[in-house]
Amino acid sequence: MTAIAKLLKSIKIMNYVHPEVLVDAAWIEAHQNDPKVRIIESNEDILLYDTGHIPGAVHIDWRRDLQDPVMRDYISPGAFADLCRKNGIAPDTTCVFYGDKSNWWACYALWAFRLFGHDKVKILNGGRDKWIAEKRPLTREKPAYPQTDYPTSTERKDHEIRAFAHEALAQSQQRKPLIDVRSPGEFSGEVTHMPEYPQEGVLRGGHIPHACSVPWKTAVNDDGTFKSADALQKIYAEGCQLQPDEEIVVYCRIGERSSHTWFVLTYLLGYEKVRNYDGSWTEWGNQVRAPIERGARTP
Amino acid sequence: MRCSDIPTNPAPSQYPSKLQQIVDFFEGLSEEDKRENLIVYSDGARRCEPKADEAFDLEDIRKDEECTDTVGVFLRVDPEGKAHFRLTLGPQVQTLTKAMTAILCKGLEGTTPQEVLAIPSDFVPRIVGGELIRVRSQTTYYILSRMKGICKVWLDRQRLKSVD
Repeated sequence: MTAIAKLLKSIKIMNYVHPEVLVDAAWIEAHQNDPKVRIIESNEDILLYDTGHIPGAVHIDWRRDLQDPVMRDYISPGAFADLCRKNGIAPDTTCVFYGDKSNWWACYALWAFRLFGHDKVKILNGGRDKWIAEKRPLTREKPAYPQTDYPTSTERKDHEIRAFAHEALAQSQQRKPLIDVRSPGEFSGEVTHMPEYPQEGVLRGGHIPHACSVPWKTAVNDDGTFKSADALQKIYAEGCQLQPDEEIVVYCRIGERSSHTWFVLTYLLGYEKVRNYDGSWTEWGNQVRAPIERGARTP
Repeated sequence: MRCSDIPTNPAPSQYPSKLQQIVDFFEGLSEEDKRENLIVYSDGARRCEPKADEAFDLEDIRKDEECTDTVGVFLRVDPEGKAHFRLTLGPQVQTLTKAMTAILCKGLEGTTPQEVLAIPSDFVPRIVGGELIRVRSQTTYYILSRMKGICKVWLDRQRLKSVD
């Protein structure tokens, strides 16, 4: 990369409201032995971490580690504290997430960490694929870190960054910003599953009335990195007419793709009241008498 | 059918012997050992690809909605009626699906197309274990369905030939 290209790239990054939340491979390599940094891989492919990961990275599985094993909910604050302790994460540890699928699950894990009040978080821009494309090292060696004494928080911050079905309904009824980040076919109701994925048990197709369709993928470049702040502004601020102080709710099928958009809106564009409706379409599309709209609606 | 015809205690699933050996091996493993062995199998998925000098009776290469990338299934049935499979996988195919490809390639080697069609899919959780079976890992069943699909086409064609 030429010096001018590097400069332009850094200027683009500087345009983000919270540019410090994104790191690149060089940053990771410079901080690999930093005891205050924990690199965390989180994937959709359950065995991908085992096939090779960034040296020193621990694995956090979105379902086994972050979700309650019985009820559809997240783990308790006590279980989260245990998860952090065993992975050598202290309250002042900077957690850097990365993973497959352009960081869907990395953003989901980051969002879940925020639910428990862990705010020192970052994303490896471009995720696992970019790391591999740059021919950076991978290892199968699983690291072990000294256990920490991560304190158990008194509550989850559900009310700050998470939306429930009744709140999504209110958002719809009050015509407040509601962003559906699924594919156009899922939004219109033409299909009831993601392209290339099995049906995940939803009975009805379509979208929440008055939702704006902005597929998550519009926020990323071909290499999985986030688009520039200018491009993101055009997509969300202009496309969805979002106002800086508005309450915004994002959703998808189970909350992972919408975590990606939640990350973009919260950190890269600086919206302060963004909540992820993680019940998403697998809840809404099965709920008796939940209002549904069909057909395309684009910004 | 009368009620008395309905079997009340169905016999345990029967798999081809090579597949049964793999099932038995995995069933005795801890979750951690299952993961490690699945990785070993997924690493071996490339060995299931067709060799340069091989010829096949049927080839079925396509990208379906159920799978994240292209999967190619190649079938040769020898004069004794035994099936021999080769498979190709696109780079986006998930690790568990790669592992299942290698397992099925090995486990179904030398079975007849009729036997392949009769295989129940309940061996998948017995190999993979409860921890790794999720809605989004259902594509592990996809490889078996594709292998069954190509066997069905081969049998249909044999039937047509016999009618001619």
